[in-house]
Amino acid sequence: MADADSDVTVPRRVWADGDVHKRELARIFRTCWQFVAHDSEIPEPGDYVTRRIGRDSVIVTRDETGQVRVLLNTCRHRGVPLCRADRGNTSHFRCSYHGWTYANTGELRGVTFQRDVYGQGGIDKSELGLFQAARVDTVYGLVFATWDPEAPSLEDYLGPMRWYLHTVFGKFDHGLEAVGPPVRTMVRANWKPEGENLSGDGYHTFVTHQSAVELGLFASQDDLARMAAVAGPRFTGRTVHCGNGHTMRIQRMPLTVDAPAYFGYPREMWDEFDRNLSEAQREAQSCLSVGHGSIFPNMSFLENFKTNVDKQGDHARYIRVTLRYPLGPAMTEQLWFLLQPRHADPEWRRLSRLAYLRTNGPAGMFEVDDTENFVGITEAAAGDVAADLPIVLDGGRHHPPTPEEAGWPGDVADGDRTEKTIRAFHGRWQELMS
Amino acid sequence: MTETTLAPPEVQAEAALFLAVEAELIDDRRYAEWLDVVADDFVYTVPVPVTPDSPFAPHHDPEALLLDESKESIRHLWFRRLEADMHEFAWGENPPPQFRHFVSNVRARETGEPDELLVRSNVLLMGRRQSDQPRYITAERFDTLRRTPAGLLLARRHAVLDQTVIDFPQPRVLL
Ligand code: FES
Ligand SMILES: [Fe+2]
Repeated sequence: MADADSDVTVPRRVWADGDVHKRELARIFRTCWQFVAHDSEIPEPGDYVTRRIGRDSVIVTRDETGQVRVLLNTCRHRGVPLCRADRGNTSHFRCSYHGWTYANTGELRGVTFQRDVYGQGGIDKSELGLFQAARVDTVYGLVFATWDPEAPSLEDYLGPMRWYLHTVFGKFDHGLEAVGPPVRTMVRANWKPEGENLSGDGYHTFVTHQSAVELGLFASQDDLARMAAVAGPRFTGRTVHCGNGHTMRIQRMPLTVDAPAYFGYPREMWDEFDRNLSEAQREAQSCLSVGHGSIFPNMSFLENFKTNVDKQGDHARYIRVTLRYPLGPAMTEQLWFLLQPRHADPEWRRLSRLAYLRTNGPAGMFEVDDTENFVGITEAAAGDVAADLPIVLDGGRHHPPTPEEAGWPGDVADGDRTEKTIRAFHGRWQELMS
Repeated sequence: MTETTLAPPEVQAEAALFLAVEAELIDDRRYAEWLDVVADDFVYTVPVPVTPDSPFAPHHDPEALLLDESKESIRHLWFRRLEADMHEFAWGENPPPQFRHFVSNVRARETGEPDELLVRSNVLLMGRRQSDQPRYITAERFDTLRRTPAGLLLARRHAVLDQTVIDFPQPRVLL
């Protein structure tokens, strides 16, 4: 496990260099577990979505036995992609070039004109199934895959991060569902600046998002006072590194409450959260302002609370998952998923969706301002002199470790504005790249 | 969007002129004037684009939205921060991106509501961030125009993008 507090020197070339990009594809994207889909996107046998792992196109499908498969989207014969749509349902994939047919298990079932082309014995179909991910596993509805047969189990890969994922994704009686297909955007930036940010950058919020603050999207003292007794002027926070570059930041509203309070969720859901969370986990969710983090390398989640998004005085919470495909050193495709509790009240779902779309959605105000930073970082790093300059990553080194009694696993510190998680991200990145 | 009869030529011309002027107001960043030609119950939606697996399915999800805004949300969350006292901190729009609309294929239809017109149009939008080369995005718009004593107002806009992977300076645009 990379020590989050070890010395990490990061030259800016990591954001713009073509050789670094190629090495990342080989060293990171071919080995790490990566998020590919939410299982609610493919509920029925035959359902599929097309995604990427690194730059490779993959088909994520539920086969006829209900097992989720991640198949490399290229015919074993001479390379034509099997699926061109973003989503659909089929039990077989038929290649458009010479007509080889594969079951959605990946098995090669049919070779056209087999004897004509490959002789009396035909061709050994058992050797020519679609190339598939070495391992596929699901945690809280999040489907992950890796090409690496030597990879640890997903459970081991996530380590203590699973405990934090439980607080976000595991607290609902009936789970979450993806609201529609993901939005796909092309961002002319390297994939890492946004990854670093979402890993736990609480430092940028009041600068980058100053106009959001002034427009009332963050709970003001007045908003807070309408929720509970206000304990102080400052939001507090913790940041955690769970090993393998997985990190999270949890910011808490300065409120005094008698029992865990899950502001932003419908009151009638609070009981189920109490039931589904341990005492320490309830502490991580109670009075939550924002929780966000990353599963290394390229998936991030955000559980955010926003005020006054539709009408004065309203507030709502939403859970977003984003995924970044490294299409080039300065080109990233980002996928945006909104996840909502299946059985939540429709009016709450509407408000939660509006809160998401208008702030942290692909066309939300926050993203306009954040994206400009990430594009700018990438552009500046293309300069030859800039490429060699290291970045500053020392923030939060003085933050005290969170007391053991809190029961929060991983390497946790008390402190909201920190570069702890960014050191962890780059520490893990360097470990894999060296 | 129900198919009804095309409006007579003078109404076609009126609708086309309205859309041209409405686009001018956005492109000139005359936001207060743009809000004046928008109805109070205005809703602006853009569905999530998708590449379908069937020629009979649309290139967007029938329910999921990428944008869902009201007149008030646009006034407050889009325009307010671009005013002189706040613009410095609208980092992503400073320097301001430039937009230019090219509106064509305007088709106005009567709806059965005496005061409302259903107007379909195509739009090509140029977007330019800083010194980057301009980029372009196109969409079809389904608008409702309402006749009021103050003149025509834009009451509803639903814009369907022609791009699955949105590659534009910012997806937060008035198409
Ligand atoms: S390339 Fe697929 S059948 Fe030939
Ligand atoms: Fe941000």
